[in-house]
Amino acid sequence: MNDTMSATEHQDYSTAPQATTSNPPEIEHEVVIEIDDVNFSYDKKKDVLQDITLDLRKNEVTAFIGPSGCGKSTLLRCMNRMNDLIPNAGLTKGEIRILGTDIHAPEVDVIELRKHVGMVFQKYNPFPKSIYENVAYGLRIQGIKNKAILDEAVETSLISAGLWEEVKDRLDASGLGLSGGQQQRLCIARTIAVQPKIILMDEPCSALDPLSTATIEDLITKLKHDFTIAIVTHNMQQATRVSDKTAFFYLGELIEFSDTTKLFTNPSVKATEDYISGRFG
Amino acid sequence: MSEIPHTLSDYEEALKNTKSSVLTMGSIASENLANAIKGLLERNEDLCNDAIAEDEEVNAYERSIDKEGMEILMRFNPVATDLRAVVGAMKISTNLERIADQAENIARRARKILKKNEIDEVRLIEPVFKMAAELVEDSLRSFSEGDVELALGLYDRDSKLDKLHRQVMKTFTKAMESDSENLRIYLNLIFIVRCLERVGDHAVNIGEDVVYLYEAADIRHIGPSALEADEEE
Repeated sequence: MNDTMSATEHQDYSTAPQATTSNPPEIEHEVVIEIDDVNFSYDKKKDVLQDITLDLRKNEVTAFIGPSGCGKSTLLRCMNRMNDLIPNAGLTKGEIRILGTDIHAPEVDVIELRKHVGMVFQKYNPFPKSIYENVAYGLRIQGIKNKAILDEAVETSLISAGLWEEVKDRLDASGLGLSGGQQQRLCIARTIAVQPKIILMDEPCSALDPLSTATIEDLITKLKHDFTIAIVTHNMQQATRVSDKTAFFYLGELIEFSDTTKLFTNPSVKATEDYISGRFG
Repeated sequence: MSEIPHTLSDYEEALKNTKSSVLTMGSIASENLANAIKGLLERNEDLCNDAIAEDEEVNAYERSIDKEGMEILMRFNPVATDLRAVVGAMKISTNLERIADQAENIARRARKILKKNEIDEVRLIEPVFKMAAELVEDSLRSFSEGDVELALGLYDRDSKLDKLHRQVMKTFTKAMESDSENLRIYLNLIFIVRCLERVGDHAVNIGEDVVYLYEAADIRHIGPSALEADEEE
């Protein structure tokens, strides 16, 4: 990775993400992730992703939609090389670049990559530790021991995740004692704490009730001012509510990628229209 | 609506019902308009009364279509063509309600004319009505069949209706000068011909809604050139 992703990078939490601040809207945001003509296979025989090309831009939320098995979660996991954990799985063609750097280049440290490309999963998975330690975990792994830095990072991250007011008086309580929605926000705070550039979300609300879902969706629209976000969702209304761009996948191919409003009001491809209006999938 | 049926049969049925309601409402509004004019031309007050009474049914359809539309939006969260179909149906029903209002206005004026002596100039209304009625009929056909070309063609035809409206108005105004005894009749005829001109405008509005529904292009206040610009992009 480039030097902005160095393990010895100074963590300046005074500029940590603030959920309430926002940049003025830009017409064309900087490209953060370039997915360039990518094929992917789990067994080096059959490609489950084919010829995928799309750019994810800074301060935008990009939703990946499509029926089960279409490859959207696989593509998400390609972006922080989570698929490396599966034997024989890997790209068979193309390149994924983050801020211009090929993430499969030999010099790229995967642990370092994942520090910059955080992930939030469908099933919230806090560690069996205190709320404080859940958020501080990633920083401790990085070797940060200074209590003041950790305190500030925990507070800033919990504020950004919209959880601070609910837990500030019980930071030593177990993370597992929180409600489902709170646990998911705790996981988002944990992800934010290491200051990633990108947040990948794999169906982050599918296990939550409507109110918790709304809280997370509200959080996503705030977080995009500081992060680049990709979200996999089966909930079409969620894609329309939170995303700026939507990519529709079907049978491992990217069928259509455009502004969310355009895709949901006037899709260019009939298969997209049939899927989003509930006629197949 | 797509030709592939929706997984939710209730949803598919609700979309079909809404479209069907709009077409039924359209045929009642058209019939009211025809009855109002027929009542005038044939000096048949009963037909005028029918056009006035039936306006209530059209109003009821407008309320019912809005209710159905809101229910579909609330229950099924339609997107893309389905969303435009629901919004389009609600907008078209508003225009149909206004067409029926014009029919009612015509019928009320016709009843006043029927109370007076018969004059030949009443016949001048017939070609204006024919043109306006055909515009309404074709706007509904374009909606029913998704015929965007037919919808776009309504613009030119409405211009011809406007031209005829101006000619007939001129004739009535001139007649008023030489035949002051029938002044009230001519004033009512002027009112009626203006109502018919407005019916044409509502038909054009329906055509615009049809273009939006089937082409996702908003051509209101711009005309067909907006569609061409969209295609070039």
